[in-house]
Amino acid sequence: MTDSSLASLQDRRVLVAEDEYMIAEEIVEALVDAGAVVLGPVSTVGEALDLLVAENEIHGALLDVNLVGRTIWPVVDVLLARGVPMVLATGYEASAIPPVYIHLPRCEKPVGIRDLTRAIARQIAKLK
Amino acid sequence: MPASIREEEWFRQRDVLARFGELALKSDDLDEILHEACHLVGQALGTDIAKVMELQPDGTTLLIKAGVGWPSGIVGNVTVQANQTSSEGHALRTGTAVISEDIETEDRFEYAAFIRDAGIRALVNVIIIGAKDQPSYGILQVDSCKPRRFTEDDTKFLRSYANLIAAAVSRLRKIAEMREGEARLRVSEERYRALVTATSNVVYRMNPDWTEMQQLDGRGFLSDTAKPSKAWMLGYIHPDDQAQVMTSIQEAVWAKGIFALEHRVCRADGTVGWTHSRAVPLFDQQGEITEWFGAASDITELKRVEGALIEGEGRLRTLMEGIPLLVWRSGNEGKWTWASPQWLDYTGQRQEESRDWGWLQAVHPDDHEMARQAWHEAGKDGLLDVEFRVRRAADGTWRWHQTRSVPVRAVPGPGHPKGRILEWLGTTTDIEDLKHLQGQQGVLLAELQHRTRNLLAVVRNVARRSIDPSPGRNQYDARLAAMGRVQGFLARSSAWSVPLQELVNAELLAAGDGTSDRVIIDGPSVNLPGDGVQPMALALHELATNAVKYGAIAQPSGHLSVTWRLEGLGSTAQLVLEWRESGVAIPNGLPARQGYGTELITRALPYQLKAKTHLEFTLDGVRCTIALPAGTFRNEDGRT
Repeated sequence: MTDSSLASLQDRRVLVAEDEYMIAEEIVEALVDAGAVVLGPVSTVGEALDLLVAENEIHGALLDVNLVGRTIWPVVDVLLARGVPMVLATGYEASAIPPVYIHLPRCEKPVGIRDLTRAIARQIAKLK
Repeated sequence: MPASIREEEWFRQRDVLARFGELALKSDDLDEILHEACHLVGQALGTDIAKVMELQPDGTTLLIKAGVGWPSGIVGNVTVQANQTSSEGHALRTGTAVISEDIETEDRFEYAAFIRDAGIRALVNVIIIGAKDQPSYGILQVDSCKPRRFTEDDTKFLRSYANLIAAAVSRLRKIAEMREGEARLRVSEERYRALVTATSNVVYRMNPDWTEMQQLDGRGFLSDTAKPSKAWMLGYIHPDDQAQVMTSIQEAVWAKGIFALEHRVCRADGTVGWTHSRAVPLFDQQGEITEWFGAASDITELKRVEGALIEGEGRLRTLMEGIPLLVWRSGNEGKWTWASPQWLDYTGQRQEESRDWGWLQAVHPDDHEMARQAWHEAGKDGLLDVEFRVRRAADGTWRWHQTRSVPVRAVPGPGHPKGRILEWLGTTTDIEDLKHLQGQQGVLLAELQHRTRNLLAVVRNVARRSIDPSPGRNQYDARLAAMGRVQGFLARSSAWSVPLQELVNAELLAAGDGTSDRVIIDGPSVNLPGDGVQPMALALHELATNAVKYGAIAQPSGHLSVTWRLEGLGSTAQLVLEWRESGVAIPNGLPARQGYGTELITRALPYQLKAKTHLEFTLDGVRCTIALPAGTFRNEDGRT
């Protein structure tokens, strides 16, 4: 089944940071189905930063805000600087998000995988 | 002798006396005076031969000091003994003029060979007296190559003449003594200067009332003053210190005592420096000050360091009095020596009330024993950390405070490898609000866990009602139950962690058998913190479920051992858990199980916990090894 709303993901390189293995696997599966190339998935902030150093070409990112007790903001800063669109997945209330990041698109957990992939597809499509 | 000749002689002698007297007063050169004395006296008496003999310190030797009419080699070299048999000795002893009119016929004395050799026939000795209380200087001797009579006038003249010589000698000796004294003084002054130079930078001299500086040797620190100057105050003293310098001078002059002051000066290079200046008055015989002698050392660097110290101390004090903590200083055993204004404000105590154990009066009576005990222990541990209640004066409430202190130590020395404790510097912090917040946090956490477990229960219920009975529904239900148990453990744990032993026991028990004698569970006491406990619990759940359904527990011949151990240290430490089943007959050969449990162990644990895992289905049963890295577990010491 092809979903036209996911068309923008075709051949796009998308970073996935999520510390729950099973959820990460589900996201990866959905992205691969939509024709995207997954960078990761990674379960820690350190791994995510390493990946940013290694990869020049990143078109989008799906990020869990809290990775094993550490917040994702250092990764977000790099991505913002590089102009990479992203979607945050979070269990936090909006009030727990620092004001500088409040404008970023986010989905609140528990979130359907379909909603998540659509959200990042929308962000990538906007940029085109 | 005709009168006219006598008169002529008399005039000549007077003329000689006058000429010699003039010379004897003017000249500072004894040799010149003595030579001229011989020359003139020879002329005056018409003999042209004369000499001056100087009595040596031994009292008997006479050295021919000057002379005219003598062959070379005599003057300055030849000596004569003034003994019983010599006319010179006789003259010295009697003090009278001793005359030998003809030495050929003289039977009183013996004569030195050089006198006879020079063809001397007659001679007269006149004593040259010494200064008051001093031995005679020597002898003036006038010689004649012919026998000769010496008249009374001659001897009178010679005595007057000899007295002139004596006066000149005496004068010159005094001058010589003075010069010697001056030289000695100069040496001693130079020594003193060297001493002053070694200890000070500057030496100066001032007139009695300090209105004029006589001299200042600045030695590079200050510019020199070579000529007396009345403008020294403006030139040397910093404008702001001039009044103070004046006051100190007035006090010193009035007391005729020592002037000593530290003050700022304008240095030779134009910058401002600091000096320590001291001056002592010198007095005349009447006790009046004749001048001041001073020395000033450069203490600019010393002052700078001192200033920095004071500044540092000031900053520290500002900090101690400015931070919103109650700060204090104490001796050993909690004997306070100082309390910050914050403490005084907070407790309403006065500074002196807080001293020693006085501060305890502001502490809740029930906490006194604890506070004293903590101070006693602190002496041993070198650390004070205690909580007690302090009364807030503003509203009279007792509020919990945390008190912490470490000792200030001296430089380590023998017997004190850590350094002797000089004092304790501590803070007492109001933690009442913190305590309330911690309490609230505990309530919130309990509420959160309650809700989580309720939610899991509701989810299990929804699943049972939404899905028809099936193996899949049962598996789902059992897995949710395992997650619920993890939440239960964490809720009961104050440290947000679960002992591995309890986790293993619980999963085996839940699967259906935790007490079988075919099961061995063994390992050191290890806790798994909240982050890692859920995936581990789910993995153990899958292994236990499999064992109960198909493996070691399901089959009567089977055995199961779950053991774990700690390996390595620090960052390389790991917790290795081994799940070993044996005596298990696998029907239909080895299953190619790639279900949820397998994925959890071989994929999820490495991904989430960075664990190294190995899962194997052998002909004897399941074998699984899970090695958790440092940071995902805590051993008994609480280290992670």
